[in-house]
Amino acid sequence: MAQQDFSKKKALLIEDMAEARIMQRKMLTDFGFTSIDIAMKAETAIELLRNKSFDVILSDYNLGNGKDGQQLLEEVRHSKLIPNTATYLMVTAETSIEMVMGAIEYQPDGYITKPFSQAVLQRRLSKLLETKERLYDVNVALDENNFAEAITAAKLVIKKYPSLLGKCERIIGESLLEIKEYKKALSLFNKTLKSRKMPWALFGKAKSYFLMGELEKAEKSFRQLMLDNRFFVSAYDWLAKIQVLQGKIEEAQATLIEAIDRSPKNILRQMELGNISLSINDFLMAEMSFRRAVFLAKYSCYNTADVYLKHLESLARISDNGPLLPRQKDNFNSTLKKVHELFFEEPSNKSKAYSYEIDIYLADNDKSTAKQIFEAWLSEVKSASATAPTKEQSAHYNKSFGG
Amino acid sequence: MEKIDISTILASAIHESKNQVGTLLYQLQGLKDSTGKNDLSLKRIVLIEESLKKLNDEWVEYLYLYRLASDGYDLHVDTFLLDEFLDDQVFALQPSANAKSLELEYNCDEHLTGIFDERLMTAVVSTAVYNALRFAKSKIHINAKMENNFLIISIEDDGEGFKQIDTEDQFDEFPEGNTGLGLYFAELSATAHVISDIRGFIKKESSNVLGGASLTVYLPQPIDLIS
Repeated sequence: MAQQDFSKKKALLIEDMAEARIMQRKMLTDFGFTSIDIAMKAETAIELLRNKSFDVILSDYNLGNGKDGQQLLEEVRHSKLIPNTATYLMVTAETSIEMVMGAIEYQPDGYITKPFSQAVLQRRLSKLLETKERLYDVNVALDENNFAEAITAAKLVIKKYPSLLGKCERIIGESLLEIKEYKKALSLFNKTLKSRKMPWALFGKAKSYFLMGELEKAEKSFRQLMLDNRFFVSAYDWLAKIQVLQGKIEEAQATLIEAIDRSPKNILRQMELGNISLSINDFLMAEMSFRRAVFLAKYSCYNTADVYLKHLESLARISDNGPLLPRQKDNFNSTLKKVHELFFEEPSNKSKAYSYEIDIYLADNDKSTAKQIFEAWLSEVKSASATAPTKEQSAHYNKSFGG
Repeated sequence: MEKIDISTILASAIHESKNQVGTLLYQLQGLKDSTGKNDLSLKRIVLIEESLKKLNDEWVEYLYLYRLASDGYDLHVDTFLLDEFLDDQVFALQPSANAKSLELEYNCDEHLTGIFDERLMTAVVSTAVYNALRFAKSKIHINAKMENNFLIISIEDDGEGFKQIDTEDQFDEFPEGNTGLGLYFAELSATAHVISDIRGFIKKESSNVLGGASLTVYLPQPIDLIS
């Protein structure tokens, strides 16, 4: 193993416990890192990752009350906040490794179990960086979304470094899915499954079937994954997608509720449950999911207007059946306030927020306030800072105002 | 009254204690860093450190043992280069061997790859080496090879060897002062590896090369990868 030169690498250390943080920082400094940024929680780490690029991210799994290391990893990988060329090393306790390994979809490049000595950390990092170097061409192609090139590069790596076979096969399979070569992907995953029962290969097989439209076969594989690996909650998300496509919306909702039971902090899953619940007019469930999503959005990569507006919408739909409870009204106002603060520049967001607000006041039979809001909306339409209400909306409101 | 699952309680108690050992190790690291190289207490600190590491590794073993025995362990196999894997093991255990002035080395073809659960096999190898550390006179060797679709990892020493009184019973003849848990753990870990209905297993033998004990772990491998 070649000795790595860490002095030019930029490191991000994410650890909530002061003692461990000081220790790990010292270790990193001692074997050559000169640039080390520190985050005490996931939210700070996301800010740092947004504004700076890092070569090495050393993150604890357990990060206190906020997001855990795995959720952080999933979010920053999913939103491409860290390139594939960067190395993500997860620090785990014995109990959390299974969670990390069970994630399948987004795995760190490596993990290290507490307690570890400086020598062990240095060695682990050196090896991971060496592997990253060997996979450099592959990862650059992946970062450029050039999947054909990634496949070619990965095949070369297999020839040169047989021990990277598993990693490369996985990259090739997933790249084949990206370029819609589903049959080729499926046969590759099947080949891997024959010799090794790798969870990622079974996951790849399930996705291949899903993308080929073979929903029943896909469902069978996803259910197998759920049986094999109780920490792989993503399988539930996929099963729910299948159930939606099969028109079994209530079943999809139940699947997602079960997934959220196991892993409640995933904002995309909360959003999905919210949307599905809206579509079957289960507004109470929708409100609960979007309320949680609003809570999770604040420090996440998915802090979009949609999360907040959907929460308002679900409350507006609840109010169709009668005035909101005081608690619900508080929720409405608190989310509305956030929309005002964060997303009021965009004309279409404004009009949505206005319409939901009118609905709430109408449910309270407070026609004059509702009317005032409507007039404010119309005047903003004139100055082109809000989009106009639809004909149906105008007709409905005018009728409700008793005009 | 609800029945108490004592093994679960013990497992979580071990886990708690293990975390405390971790904290102690961190503190000891700090103490070591501030102790001068020629300070006489450094040697004692290193000894304490090695004992704590061993304690930590043993508790890791017990935790896996608990999970394996209660069906709570999901096997995570992957392909590994044995040269790298064994190098890692020797690297981690070398200080313990040094502390006892014993030689620890590994041997395998540099291109040999195998499929297994890295965490389990790490625990098995360290358990076996810790055991060998107690009996070896001067050296411990770890070997790996591929034979008949089995990856074979053996941990050999030049001590007295397993007592050859009763070859029928695997666990009776375990060296004195030991509970036999280590062997049981190795056995459970090996049998957890299954490929096409073929299970892994362990053998207690005597070392042909070193003359002492040899614990050999057989892990089944897929057929088409070896050809």
